[in-house]
Amino acid sequence: MNKKLAAILTLGALSSVALAGPIEEQIRFRQSAYSYLSWNTAKIKAQAADHPETFNKDQVIAAANAIAAVANSGLLDLYGPGTEVGTGWKPTRLKPEFFEKQDEVKEIDATFIKEANELQKVAATGDVAAIKSQFGKVGATCKSCHDLIRVRE
Amino acid sequence: MKVTVHIWDWPLRVFHWLLVVAVVGAYATGKLGGELTDWHGRLGSLVLGLLVFRLIWGFIGTTHARFSSFFPTFSRVRAYLKGEWQGPGHNPIGAFAVFALLAALIVLVATGLFANDDIAFEGPLFNLIDKDLSDKLSGWHALVINLLLGLVALHVAAIVFYQRVKKTNLVLPMLTGKKQLPRDLQSAAISRVGVLRIALTVLIAISVVWGVWRGDFANYLSPQASYQVDNTHKT
Repeated sequence: MNKKLAAILTLGALSSVALAGPIEEQIRFRQSAYSYLSWNTAKIKAQAADHPETFNKDQVIAAANAIAAVANSGLLDLYGPGTEVGTGWKPTRLKPEFFEKQDEVKEIDATFIKEANELQKVAATGDVAAIKSQFGKVGATCKSCHDLIRVRE
Repeated sequence: MKVTVHIWDWPLRVFHWLLVVAVVGAYATGKLGGELTDWHGRLGSLVLGLLVFRLIWGFIGTTHARFSSFFPTFSRVRAYLKGEWQGPGHNPIGAFAVFALLAALIVLVATGLFANDDIAFEGPLFNLIDKDLSDKLSGWHALVINLLLGLVALHVAAIVFYQRVKKTNLVLPMLTGKKQLPRDLQSAAISRVGVLRIALTVLIAISVVWGVWRGDFANYLSPQASYQVDNTHKT
């Protein structure tokens, strides 16, 4: 490998570490992000899918905004080199293959962002059936990533 | 000279084909995820009901539906391996497959009831246990699917083998209930299905599924869990 490229790559790796902090911190931040997501997805699931009689437009809009914000926050920055092993709030369940499957990972991330943005738009209309359907699409992107790079318990 | 003998009762046949639909549907919806995950839960509950039905029917159903009539005992397996076994219903090796399939499905349903997908699905009994255990059971659920796929492949391969090599159609009898058998097995024909027996079995199966979904079991086993169930209405 030529020296310049190596230097750039090293610098790139270092700067992403500098942005997101040490390994344990990156893991803790990303676990927190998903934990916060789950609070918001649970609200939409409860109010738009399981118990539509409890639908509260403001809460659902707030939840959809939060989901879109997390999706657009650059989550992949929290997956720096070496973060396949380590403990944040609890040990990470990232598969080491994550780093070899970057193309798929980036595609899933882009789809997640797209569907989350769409959910934000649909939520604003207050159309419960449409929210439920779009929420399903967001959930499918979560699953595609879990299936690809998450260790099963 | 062969004669047509009625060996599979109608509830057994309905059970079999509903199970095919439920398992294929549950597998597909489980793979696809998203909005279909709710259907995965519903189809899983159908499998639960069907399993409850089958386990009871294995004791009070008609002759060849009973576990005791085809349980692969040592002597039956030995006779079969020597080529001396003859019978109208499941042969001893097929019986292994039946019990293995039932066992795999029982594990899948049992783990699925407590499972979660960390996205937007929680099994109807999820609140009875803590999240870590649910995560573990969800992992087992995904693993046992591979076992089920293997058993289903074996089951289908055996049927193709009987069709192609032994020239015996096993699918038609599972549809009509009637099988071509040697004349000396004519007495194997089953009697009519008792109305009370089938009604009772179906009633119990439906009650179990109903109890699981309404949360009656959850409330009975852990009254505090009902607090969590109610809370989801308010969030």
